[in-house]
Amino acid sequence: MSAPSLAPYILKRPWLQRWMQPLANWYCNASGYRQLGLRADDLLPEENDLVQTALKRLRPQAAYDRVFRLRRALQLSMSHQLLPKEEWTKPEEDTPYLQTLIEEIETEMAEREDLESLVVSKRQRNAKSGH
Amino acid sequence: MLSRSTACRGAQRAALARQQAARQTQRRGLAAPASGSFQYQTGEAKGVKYASRDFAGPTTTLALVAKAGTRFQPLPGLTEGLANFAFRGTERRSTLRIVRESELLGATLSAWHSRENLVLEAKFLRDDLPYFVELLGEVASSTKYQPHVYGEEVLPLIHAAHKRFLASVSDMATNSAHSLAFHRGLGYPTASASPTPYTKYLDAQAIEYYSKIAFAKPNFAVVANGADHGEFSKWVGEFFDNVPASALDESSAGADQTKYYGGEERIAHDGGNAMVIAFPGSSSFTGKFYKPEIAVLGSLLGGQSAIKWSPGFTKLGNAAAPGAKVTTTSAIYSDAGLLYTTITGSAQAVASTAKAAVEAIKKIAAGEISSEEISKAKATAKFKELEHGQDTRAGLELTGNGLVHNTQAYQIDEVAKAIDGVSEQALKSAAKQLLEGNATVSAVGDLFVLPFAADLGLKV
Repeated sequence: MSAPSLAPYILKRPWLQRWMQPLANWYCNASGYRQLGLRADDLLPEENDLVQTALKRLRPQAAYDRVFRLRRALQLSMSHQLLPKEEWTKPEEDTPYLQTLIEEIETEMAEREDLESLVVSKRQRNAKSGH
Repeated sequence: MLSRSTACRGAQRAALARQQAARQTQRRGLAAPASGSFQYQTGEAKGVKYASRDFAGPTTTLALVAKAGTRFQPLPGLTEGLANFAFRGTERRSTLRIVRESELLGATLSAWHSRENLVLEAKFLRDDLPYFVELLGEVASSTKYQPHVYGEEVLPLIHAAHKRFLASVSDMATNSAHSLAFHRGLGYPTASASPTPYTKYLDAQAIEYYSKIAFAKPNFAVVANGADHGEFSKWVGEFFDNVPASALDESSAGADQTKYYGGEERIAHDGGNAMVIAFPGSSSFTGKFYKPEIAVLGSLLGGQSAIKWSPGFTKLGNAAAPGAKVTTTSAIYSDAGLLYTTITGSAQAVASTAKAAVEAIKKIAAGEISSEEISKAKATAKFKELEHGQDTRAGLELTGNGLVHNTQAYQIDEVAKAIDGVSEQALKSAAKQLLEGNATVSAVGDLFVLPFAADLGLKV
């Protein structure tokens, strides 16, 4: 699900982050979803099992809000309009509410894979005593 | 003793019963060194109470007994929720990892609750003690109470328990009798009697809140059966650091001294017939109102034969109408108890057996009972009690319960001694007292046939 990204590399280096931050802000703004009242996580492709599971785990209020934002954005897009400026998504509202769930599910799935391919070896002490 | 087959044969069964009492003292003397392992050693590590007994054998049973049964839940359903959240994902490992690791170690994990206790239990090979002490510590301190886990995994289990409860007439009758006898506290049903608890009160957050009370150091004890005491105390001291030192909220739910009320309830049901006739009973041995004569009275009334091909000596075993199944239970709780007879079967059989049951108690109260029967009942009660103590599951719960409530472990040998000391007079006066007080009668099933308490001649 998660695409390769430079972000962790940049975030680890504060000096680089200071450089990139204005650029990132500009890019988010320019991509235009905030003007439709969306959040970045609303744009994740949801046509797969992983994201569907994550969507099911959203709290009821969060799920409702998400659908509301999507429908509002669709309406705006069809009528070729933007929201009034005070209703744009503010940067501090643009939180990764779905991404965290997706990562959690990814780790769960990875863990299941790991455990499925587990190789069991007897503990040394018990192997000797023929337990 | 009965293994002496020559003594078992022959017609002098009465003589045998009399001899039994005389020989018992001898036998106890001989068994004394071995029965030392019955005794639990207790201790406290950084505020966590624990008890263990080193039962020789390659396996260990470990239990965390929390004072969080249905009696102590501040909102209905919390105990069930907490029991079903046990061994789910924690901060450190996921549900799947707990399951797989335990499977690899060949262990059994279970969680269940009674009216007073919530028990998380692990059975495993002796060598794996540290792993499972750590696991219990982790479950108590850092389970993640996630809403989706509640919705996907916990709620269906609670709902299934509710459905099972509704389908079982004897469960309904027993719970109805408890609620009549004790109203709140001990009277709360052990499974949701309606969906209200989990539709209205229960969610992951509420369960998390309750876990901070149930798994606080003063409210639980860790008990091990088949573990070396020194080693066990070391691991308990190490792995229970993260549980809260005191309860998040001093919940007063269930803390009051239980009071007995009594009464009658009739519930129509088409899935069978059950009647429960109950009287105030004895508290557990570790409690303040311990009355050994109630246990003897319970086994005298009995109902189920312990011997094959015979109705047994018990009063109700002989009096039961064909087609009725009778059991008498002396349910013991920390500060009260309930002696109840459960009758199930066809409506007519249940009705006539219920009448016979009350008559049997009246006869005992009037003293129309032979001393032979009493000594049989005493022997049965003692056997049941000792067997109960050997049964690790019950022993663990009782010991944990005793530790949490009275900081005293359940010492089975002393219980057996108390039962030995019950006199005929005490038994008769106990039966008389039952009839003088208010009885509890609950009937579930075909109410057209099942009798009222007044028909049985009981005061409610």
